[in-house]
Amino acid sequence: MRCAECRDALTSYVDGELMPEEAETMRDHLASCAACAAEHEMLQSLSRRLREGLARPRAPDVLKARIRSALSQSTGVLADVTTPGRPWTGLLVAGALIAVVSGGASFAVARREASRPAIAEQVLSSHLRSLMPGHLTDVASNDSHNVKPWFNGRVDLSPLVPRLDSAGFPLAGGRLDYVGGRTVATVVYVRRQHVINVFSWPTEDRTAHTPVTSIEKGYHVVHWSDGGVELWVASDLNARELEQFVTLYRRE
Amino acid sequence: MAHREVESFERLVLPHLDDAYALACHLLRDEHDAQDVVQEAVLRALRYFDGFRDGDARAWLLAIVRNCCYTWQRRYRTDGLSVSYADAETSSQLRGTDTDAGAIRSSDSAVIDRAVASLPPEFREVIVLRELQELSYREISQITGVPMGTVMSRLARARKRLASSLGLLIEEAS
Ligand SMILES: [Zn+2]
Repeated sequence: MRCAECRDALTSYVDGELMPEEAETMRDHLASCAACAAEHEMLQSLSRRLREGLARPRAPDVLKARIRSALSQSTGVLADVTTPGRPWTGLLVAGALIAVVSGGASFAVARREASRPAIAEQVLSSHLRSLMPGHLTDVASNDSHNVKPWFNGRVDLSPLVPRLDSAGFPLAGGRLDYVGGRTVATVVYVRRQHVINVFSWPTEDRTAHTPVTSIEKGYHVVHWSDGGVELWVASDLNARELEQFVTLYRRE
Repeated sequence: MAHREVESFERLVLPHLDDAYALACHLLRDEHDAQDVVQEAVLRALRYFDGFRDGDARAWLLAIVRNCCYTWQRRYRTDGLSVSYADAETSSQLRGTDTDAGAIRSSDSAVIDRAVASLPPEFREVIVLRELQELSYREISQITGVPMGTVMSRLARARKRLASSLGLLIEEAS
């Protein structure tokens, strides 16, 4: 084998793309030719450096959530709550149904049991929709306490907006969302790439319920109530960190 | 679309999201663009899932991601495909914020990313597909739509350029 042939085949050789007999001929030449062997060595070390050094970014959880959300809408899994292409219609219908059921005061306990899962589902569906591009916040936090005042006059409850940046839960902002047929205040935090939505609205029930974590379609949903305020949190963050977040949020 | 069909799509395609995202990041040099393009590519893949029955789901998805990247650049970037995005800022953006591995990786990574980013796209894509995703010439040929011989010659030329920019080039005695 001549050097020129060897050089032509060197790329295929380091990539393991030669036939066994061709590779054999290459090995023989490289064993006897210092110049080609040096070139071979260089290509191998270049390959090694690339494999170790090239950025290997992983798909962010926010992207995975966006894709899962889009896929679940294409199956009609969430079709009872959201209709693909017209996400608001189904939601408003669901809200209207709850409003009708709420008309009978004597069914308080049953209604409570029946509406819980429906609310959890709507909370999740609002969470998923918020992950679509441009839907996360109506007001982005500018680090000067602008989020809490933004809710004034927009909802009938001023939500808690504690700054938890130092605990690793930066405030992303706030928005209005729709859950259970009403406009609710939604405060948005971020943990690494994970979005945490906190929904809250006033309730007549003044008894406090401690937080309960449940899993809805693979997402964590935490629900509790504090002195006349009902709160729901949804995220794809792991349960341990999400519960840590809830503890910090409630401490304020 | 039937629930079972979407389930089998999820099972075959979603495990390759990281690879899809890495390819899009290297081709577009922008995390946010890469996220939007990967989402668009996955939904497009779902639409064409009928046409995919067996074979390599990863190569199939990467081919769609690649096409979406170039369509995206034609649509949104006036500077076109021949411009590379090699400045330090985009290179550090590519690091991401959630990768623990990112913090560990040596400073050599920044040098290498810059060198790869400054390659023309047709060279950059073969390097990423070969060195990062360890695909065969046949798979790279399927993804890029060029013959295997062209894959090989592009890899050879891309490596020559990288060896030069990384200071590995051997002085020929002749
Ligand atoms: Zn030789």
